[in-house]
Amino acid sequence: MSVFTDEGVMPAVAPPREPLWELRGISKAFPGVQALDDVSFSVYPGEVHALLGENGSGKSTLAKCVAGVHQPESGQMLFQGKAVTFRNPTEARSLGVATIYQEFSLIPTLTVAENIYLGRYPRNVAGTIDWTAVQQGTIKVLESLSLTLDPDAIVQGLSVAEQQLVEIAKAISLQSSLLIMDEPTAALGLVETQHLMQIIRRLTAQNKAIIYISHRLDEVFQIADRVTILKDGRWVTTAPISELKMGDVVRSMIGFDIEQHYPKEHNTQPKTCLEVENLVTENGIHGVSFTVYVGEVFGLGGMLGSGRTEIARAIFGMDRHTSGKVRLFGREARFRTPSGAVNAGIGLIPENRKVDGCFFNFEAPKNITISRLKEVLTGPFLSLSKEYKVGETYVKRMNLHPSALEKSVKFLSGGNQQKVIVARWLFSKARLLIMDEPTQGIDIGAKLEVYNVINELTAAGISIILISSDFPELLAMSDRVAIVRDGQILHITEAERMTEYQLIGMASGVGESQEPEKIHRQQEAGETPHG
Amino acid sequence: MDRIAKFFRSTVAGPLVAFLVVVVIASLASDRFMMPQNLSNVSLQVATVAVVAIGATLVILTGGIDLSPGSTVALVTCTLAILVKNMGLPLPVGIILVLLLGAILGFINGFLSTFMKIPSFIVTLATMSIYRGLAFLITNGTPIFSVSTALEPLFYGKFLGLPLPVFYVIGLYAVGAFFLRSTIQGRAIYAVGGNESAARLTGIHVNRVRLLAFVLSGLTASVGGVLLTAWLNSGSPNYGAELGLQSIAAAVIGGASLTGGIGSMVATLIGALTVAVVQNGLNLLAVPASWQEITLGIVIILAVALDMWRADMGRSFGRLFGLSVGK
Repeated sequence: MSVFTDEGVMPAVAPPREPLWELRGISKAFPGVQALDDVSFSVYPGEVHALLGENGSGKSTLAKCVAGVHQPESGQMLFQGKAVTFRNPTEARSLGVATIYQEFSLIPTLTVAENIYLGRYPRNVAGTIDWTAVQQGTIKVLESLSLTLDPDAIVQGLSVAEQQLVEIAKAISLQSSLLIMDEPTAALGLVETQHLMQIIRRLTAQNKAIIYISHRLDEVFQIADRVTILKDGRWVTTAPISELKMGDVVRSMIGFDIEQHYPKEHNTQPKTCLEVENLVTENGIHGVSFTVYVGEVFGLGGMLGSGRTEIARAIFGMDRHTSGKVRLFGREARFRTPSGAVNAGIGLIPENRKVDGCFFNFEAPKNITISRLKEVLTGPFLSLSKEYKVGETYVKRMNLHPSALEKSVKFLSGGNQQKVIVARWLFSKARLLIMDEPTQGIDIGAKLEVYNVINELTAAGISIILISSDFPELLAMSDRVAIVRDGQILHITEAERMTEYQLIGMASGVGESQEPEKIHRQQEAGETPHG
Repeated sequence: MDRIAKFFRSTVAGPLVAFLVVVVIASLASDRFMMPQNLSNVSLQVATVAVVAIGATLVILTGGIDLSPGSTVALVTCTLAILVKNMGLPLPVGIILVLLLGAILGFINGFLSTFMKIPSFIVTLATMSIYRGLAFLITNGTPIFSVSTALEPLFYGKFLGLPLPVFYVIGLYAVGAFFLRSTIQGRAIYAVGGNESAARLTGIHVNRVRLLAFVLSGLTASVGGVLLTAWLNSGSPNYGAELGLQSIAAAVIGGASLTGGIGSMVATLIGALTVAVVQNGLNLLAVPASWQEITLGIVIILAVALDMWRADMGRSFGRLFGLSVGK
């Protein structure tokens, strides 16, 4: 494939002398995590500079510093050579920084034109909004991007991809000199992605600078001029894309031999827990088949939007099945509501524990017992003392601070909240647990505890379906891995037999990396230099 | 010291302070406030709104809102009057039938707002109008007086020297508090209001829980309607107009969160008492009705503001004594 060679990659033009933006020694800490540690970074006019790194490596935080969302604790930000500080995103915007976030900032009930000019409507002589100017300005922006969108279309009627394009048009209409794109293609299909690449080229031809954040390495190799890799909040390397190979990049992102860091135990028993046969759902799963054994960790690997979460949703009774069979311990398991799945012994640890997991009006014990309140009854009534004892047991077992017994879980850290939710399903005696991004946004220590819990669970005969964007984690903690793309399972294999590059390659649709020797050579030559 | 700080952080602290403040003001403003006869009056005045507020609180706890109880009360008073006076049914039968009616009216609210997915604010705004319209329809718009001689003792009777409504209120609140605290359904109400999505993912039937809250709200509204019929020995389509908002006010003054999940029976009772004391105090001072309304509104704002600041007060109090309690 071309992305592994220099072919199709823009030649490394010698950048103009003065960077548009230069960041020197930026540090930023959040409670419990050093998000950025002495990171330096620069971007030149007309350049696409990609920021790469795993989840939690600090790339979004870095971009948010430039965008004025976060204020770095130390370090300098220079705009055209002059030091600046931002107190809020508005100040950054006034210096020409526009951001396209993963989450949309569009108002769904307004039209395309209204959204593009939101908050800065041009006025006419009478002081009312000059709608003609809004209309014409919008048409101009859309034309400059060769987009065929109706300026009067209501945004909520557009597809997600079209909304993403409106978002981009809005950012461009701000006359910005720097565009930050955080996972801009997460919601886009192949055609729209190619269209976006053209737009980006047009923008760089207009001398605009672009900071490009993406998990999809194939895109990065297609569009970026230079790449900066971050790891655990630290700068690893900055290099022209033409000097990099896919393998180097992945290697720099992982940075160590993962095996030592993952306390994986193999507890698979030769008994079937879950069988899925040719499952098709209303939510985009097309003919998925797999089997999960008792005590096994079955990993679902794929990019955002690949369908891995939808497979989980279907098993858990959240999406309607249109055809296919699901059997749990030999019994038909076609649930129409999550409560059916819960009663049959399936648990779900949702991706977003704040939105879908925690009850912030409850303390830890009530959060734990909620899915199996029958266990804490005395006669027909709840026994608060029994419940408290359950709480004590699990707080101890999960290494939580005893104050969790008395206080709302909103006072717990992300990792500890996750442990409370794991405890919930332990208590409810789930036999199959679906974990969707169980370690997202929690620190290394808490991650290790979650891994240990996974081992404990499988040792006790509980099966786990693990979904994780952290591919090293997914490969290390799973017994077998299925690669999901476009709502289908492409391949199922022993996790030990698969490398991260193969996984990324297959999941992102660029094929497997075929240059393992080069990576080894790189390894022997020593780690990538660190400034 | 720690205990004082803890008190400031507990949920009923703010409402309780607000209540005590209005009691002190009322007793300072009027000598008659603390007299047994007056306190007995207050208890009669508070009974209807307190009972209705039980259901309002349940709905609010699930994250919904019920605007219709006032109209339910009106329809119940009219129906009870017609059943007993015009159709000659025995009083107990009439009462059972109107309680059933209340539950059905609540079911309609619940069904429309859960299974038909119409926001509860809209549904109950509509049924508020429909239920009162029905009350006008069945009475031709004229009140029915002297419903039954058997009714008055239900309200004006005494037990151990205390008015009977005191026992109704205490009894119903005790049942309500026990339901919320010690049943799976009660816990589910808190869970649904606290985080609907998480509740669904832990296997709770969110719609059924919401429906239950509305049915119970209709039921307590009809109990309130029976009390009102007994109090005035009449039924009228104009009754209870203020009850819907007052019951919500009671819950909110008690510290219930309109986004759901936070609130309790004790807190709502304190809220209802606060409303009653304010009204009674103003009555004793012969304040015109227009000013009573205005004052009630101000009390609602003050009580909620006090509750909002409560957590900060706990922290400031701690700082004052060099303790760190705001964790």
